[in-house]
This record gives sequence, structure tokens and C-alpha cells, in this order.
Amino acid sequence: MRLIFKNLNVLRSTINAISTSIEIKEIVESAGNNLPNLFDFSSFGVFWKEDLLLFLFQEDSCPPPFTEEVVKNMMSVFSILGEESLERDRITLQIEKRKMRPRQMMMDPQATLKSHLTLPLTVEGEVLGCISLNSDQPNAFDAQDLQFLSVIGYQMAASLKHFQRLSSIKNIAIYDTLTGLYNRRHFEERLGAEAQKSFYGGTPLSLVMMDIDYFKKVNDTFGHTEGDRVLCNISSLLKNSIRKKDTVARYGGEEFILILPETGLEESYMIAERIRRLVEVTPFDVGQAQVHLTISMGISNFPSHRAKSKEELIRMADQALYDAKRGGRNKVCIFSGKSAQWIVPT
Amino acid sequence: MVPSVRGDKRGKWSSDLVLDLYSNLLVEIWEVVSALIGEAILAFLFTLAIRKLGEKYSFLNSLKVSEEGVFIEGVREDCRTLAPVEIHRGFQGLINHLSHLFSALAEGVINKELFPKVFPKFKEAERIISQK
Repeated sequence: MRLIFKNLNVLRSTINAISTSIEIKEIVESAGNNLPNLFDFSSFGVFWKEDLLLFLFQEDSCPPPFTEEVVKNMMSVFSILGEESLERDRITLQIEKRKMRPRQMMMDPQATLKSHLTLPLTVEGEVLGCISLNSDQPNAFDAQDLQFLSVIGYQMAASLKHFQRLSSIKNIAIYDTLTGLYNRRHFEERLGAEAQKSFYGGTPLSLVMMDIDYFKKVNDTFGHTEGDRVLCNISSLLKNSIRKKDTVARYGGEEFILILPETGLEESYMIAERIRRLVEVTPFDVGQAQVHLTISMGISNFPSHRAKSKEELIRMADQALYDAKRGGRNKVCIFSGKSAQWIVPT
Repeated sequence: MVPSVRGDKRGKWSSDLVLDLYSNLLVEIWEVVSALIGEAILAFLFTLAIRKLGEKYSFLNSLKVSEEGVFIEGVREDCRTLAPVEIHRGFQGLINHLSHLFSALAEGVINKELFPKVFPKFKEAERIISQK
């Protein structure tokens, strides 16, 4: 009886730890840290379908063939439950090893999977993944283990669903739904952080505002669906043309904006010019046809343009973009006080 | 050959007996397994098994599954024209498939609890349908 009470207390604290976790890794770690107090196992696995992630929390002496057997078994059980086959190559494996056994009980390097308990992580009839307890010992688990694992599984499923909902809200809050680029709200947050770093640290910061030339014609000629398609294609082109530290966002309509941290005027001009040329030579599919489009770009820079706030930096890039448009489009202009200095592409 | 039930008093009576027997068995399965893995997972597994077996035995699609349990009432209407042996085969297939799912999840842990309940009921159903 005392043992049952002890186990129930461990179960309670495990559930509490899982329910207060908000990141998937944290949820898995909370469970993994507490489970050795409840069960005698070699490996504990959590498969998260959405990201095809398999977390394994296992005994330090688990030999690789055993790990592979666990992975295969979990995939096989999940395929039965999810009625869809999973390719092993697509699964990202994250293994965390812990010393759970005394030295004299270390696993045999030839150990194989002898018993397991696997349960689906279900919420409202939807399978989010599965959890699994695995052992190199035959008949390692009994009915009480299954009951405890199911209680843990229900809490994990609820927490993971909560995490999934939070992530989707977070995505809506920061991404533009059409193009998948960051939205204007997130851009302003990022710019705020980068501007603060630059203004206080003295590092250069460039902003490139861009607009697709005569985009209205695309919409008017081919319709808005095709126009949206062009916006998506240009967005992926932009996403693939920037560096890891840069940020590209949809500023509105057919306007995009780039934050180039630690980038001087000359370098930002080279980046902008490369993008302008890339757009110019890329054919875009619209309906059955292909069109060539151009973009105009305006650059502002800290400290070159002595902007005192992020708003001023945006205003300067916007002014330079206006000058590029006024100067005939398909140009990159750098802000230069009253009227921007524009460079005709060669 | 599957004997016709329509117009056959003995056949109708057998169908009802088989249905009652499986109705009780499903309740027992629900009680035992839900205590081990919880209602939501069990309801999910039942739904999975019914979807699979429902292709072959369409009357199984009338089973109602929720976290409250599995309900056979809708099946009675569909089984009115079915031979008892067909009903038996459908439910036997369903329970065997569930058992296969339980085994995939927990090896022998669930089936060890279920086998003493299920096996005699299968035998009983076979006895009912073999009575001429």
C-alpha cells in the first residue's frame, strides 16, 4: 500500500511538471526526468507527428541497435494507429542519455528490445503522436505500468495540443498568411531590437524598402489570384536571397522590407542591387504566360543618414524608394537628404 | 452456407441472442480496457477497428462509440436480416482486430486481462449458432 501511495505521488508530480511545461522539449524532459521514479525502463520515446520528431530519453548504456529497434517499433505502432506509413529517413531523432542504472546493471551491447508499452497521444480523436516505454527485459511492464503511462500520456497529449495551439497563434501573429514572410508587426519588433543594438552599440544597420513596379497591371490583367501567386514567388526569391542574420518582411500590398544588421551602406547597396537584378531576370508564371517584373528599392542606413529612431530610418528608406520610382523605376536609390541619389543599373 | 434468418423464428431468436452476447462482451471489454488505458484512447481504438472491419461487415458501422462507451442499439436494426453466423463473424472480427491493436500497443498486458472474458463468449456464440 505504501508503494502505491509513493507511486501516486510520483505520478502527481510528473503530471504537474508536464502540465506546467510550455515547449515540446520541456514537456518531454519533464516526463523523462520523472519516469525513472515510476518505471524500470531502458528507453522512453515521444513521437510528435507534426514535426516528425522523435525524442528518446534513454539509459546511458543503451546500444545503438537497441535504439534503432525502439525507433522502428514506434514507427510501426504509429503506422497502425495513424493508418499512414512513415519513412524512417524523414524522422528527426533527438536522443538524451541519462545514467539510470548502476554500473553492474548496464545494458548488454547486444541487448534487443524485449518488451514495450506504446500509447497514442490523442486529443479529441486526433492522434498527435505516441509515447513508448521500452525495455531489454522480457515482460518488463504490467497492468499498473500501463495505467500510469496512460495517465502520463493523457497529460502529455493535452500539453502538446496546448503547445500546438500556442504555436499556431504565434505563427498567425508573426507571419504574413499569403507569403509566409514576417508580417509588418513582427518586422517593427525586429527593427526595434536591431535599432536599439545599433544606436547604443554603434554598429551599422541598413534598411531596404522595395516595391514591385507596375504590380497593379498584373492584378488587372491576370486577376488577383495570379497576382497573389507572383507575390508568393517574389517572396520566396527574397527569402532565398538574404543572409541568416537578415530579416525580410511583407510591409504591405506589394511592398517588402529588409533589415540588414551590421551592414554598411556599400554592402547593403550590393545586396539590394543583386536582388533587383535577380528579380529582373526571373520569369514569373502568371496563368499560362510568363512575365518579367522589376522592383524599385530605397536604402537608409545608420549611422550614415543620422537617423535617431527606427521610425526615421523607415521614413528615409521610404523617401529613397519614392525617388527610385520617380527616377524611372527598376532602380536602387540611397537616401541622400532632400532628394535621393539614384543609380541607373548597367 | 449461411442459413437465412428471415421468417425463421429460431434464426431471429439466435440473432438476438448473439447480439445480446456481444453487447455484454463489448461492455466488459470497455470496462476492463478503459481502466487500463483510459476512455479516449479506447474510443479511438474502437473507431479504428470499426472503420477497418466495417468495410467487410457493414452493420458494424452502426456501432456508436464515444468516451462514454460503445453502444450496440443501432446495430439491431441492421442485423434484422442477417444470419446469426454473420453477426458472430462480424463481432468476432472486430474483437480480434481490437485484440491485435492491444497487442501492438502493450503486447500481452491488455490481452492477458481480456482473454478469460472473450474466449468463453466466442465459444458461447458458436454454440448458439450451431444449434439447429
